[in-house]
Amino acid sequence: MESEKCANLAAVLQHADATFPSGSVSFSWGLESLCNQGIVKDVATVAGFVSAHLRGRWASLDRVMMVHAHYAALDLNEVAWLDMLVEAQSLSTEQRMGSSRVGAALLSTHRRLGSKVAEDYAEMIELGKAYGHMPVVQGLIWGQCGFDSTLIQCMGAHGICTSLLGAAVRLSAIGHIDAQIVHSNLIPLIARIVSTPVGRPDECHSFIPQIEIASMKHETDEIRLFVN
Amino acid sequence: MNVVNTSIDSIDRRLGKHKSAARVGIGGPVGSGKTALIEALLPRLHARGLEVTVVTNDLVTKEDALRLQRSGLIDPERVMAVEAGACPHTVIREDPSLNIAAADTLAARFPNADLIFIESGGDNLASTFSLDLVDYWLFVIDTGGGDDIPRKKGPGILRCDVLIINKIDVGPVVGVDVEKMSKEALEIRGGRPVMLTDARRGFGIEALIDRLEHDVLFADA
Repeated sequence: MESEKCANLAAVLQHADATFPSGSVSFSWGLESLCNQGIVKDVATVAGFVSAHLRGRWASLDRVMMVHAHYAALDLNEVAWLDMLVEAQSLSTEQRMGSSRVGAALLSTHRRLGSKVAEDYAEMIELGKAYGHMPVVQGLIWGQCGFDSTLIQCMGAHGICTSLLGAAVRLSAIGHIDAQIVHSNLIPLIARIVSTPVGRPDECHSFIPQIEIASMKHETDEIRLFVN
Repeated sequence: MNVVNTSIDSIDRRLGKHKSAARVGIGGPVGSGKTALIEALLPRLHARGLEVTVVTNDLVTKEDALRLQRSGLIDPERVMAVEAGACPHTVIREDPSLNIAAADTLAARFPNADLIFIESGGDNLASTFSLDLVDYWLFVIDTGGGDDIPRKKGPGILRCDVLIINKIDVGPVVGVDVEKMSKEALEIRGGRPVMLTDARRGFGIEALIDRLEHDVLFADA
């Protein structure tokens, strides 16, 4: 039993690791644009940016869809409906495309690892029956790996934090030690969000206006390190 | 916890890998001539009846992709750009999933393609390609960078399938003995292929295509 718990924990660490291939290293989710505009420029503003993502989008949209996708894994049409809701709730093109590109990349990796559900859902995307948004794919795949809904939420939140803070370091907005300080300070927020019951899929919502506007500006930026 | 099925045959079969175009990485430092090499290869490959698509990995712009798309040497639809997120080596090595997705997209759009070139964003001598991303890879250095580049023995120089020393016309101008540089590179690589090119004038390009046909496309098999 103890051995099984350790194996499960080791698998969680593997799948939540920033080096697990999902393409996320190439995405800044609006941060590059906000840095270019001088709006995000130091520890406080980076912390505010990550917190806004967690509160304004991840808590009320991404994690909701992740958990419902986890429970709907046996009905891929239901998963596709959740996917459609994420598409509808993602205002800016780059946030929307970014979510589906990371989802597709994660799906592609699991497909190559031999996951049947990844294979089946990738085929639905190829047929135009689903979008493959990141939280939906995460919920679907991680659930099939045997992780429970609390664990997958923690994995998702960890992924968002490492992705955004990694981008902040590469954009020279903060240093690597400050990135860890910001991350540590966000953990109580993540715990509060995860301990709150998820809402209904059709009540999910996202409200990150400044980030959405920054993402729109990013579409026409000539100098861009990141996809979004 | 579910155990994943990692049977390579089953994965290849599901992904249709055996029917896909060969994927050839082209890496190397900024300014070594990777894009110029592709520009030199495209018309000559076309003349041999070979179909090509290209994935570019620009560091901060889409300069290389736009350059190829505007070159008139290739249908712009056959070129896709992948943003690297400041880490060109990461997206071809540790996490090449976006490049794999781009190559898969091109392979699906152009099922008759023979080759997919994946041009890395410029990086240092340490960059290498994931062997899950490419079947074969070239590493391009140039004489203008100095004749000591091969002696620095970066993984790119040591591990690539073919080391290209480009801009051999520049060597004499900057005091580089190209023959000596080539000989040293060959020794450092333990006799594995080193080829000399002047991509701008087309020198060495036909020989490189011969090698790609032999090593990658198995044209003489």
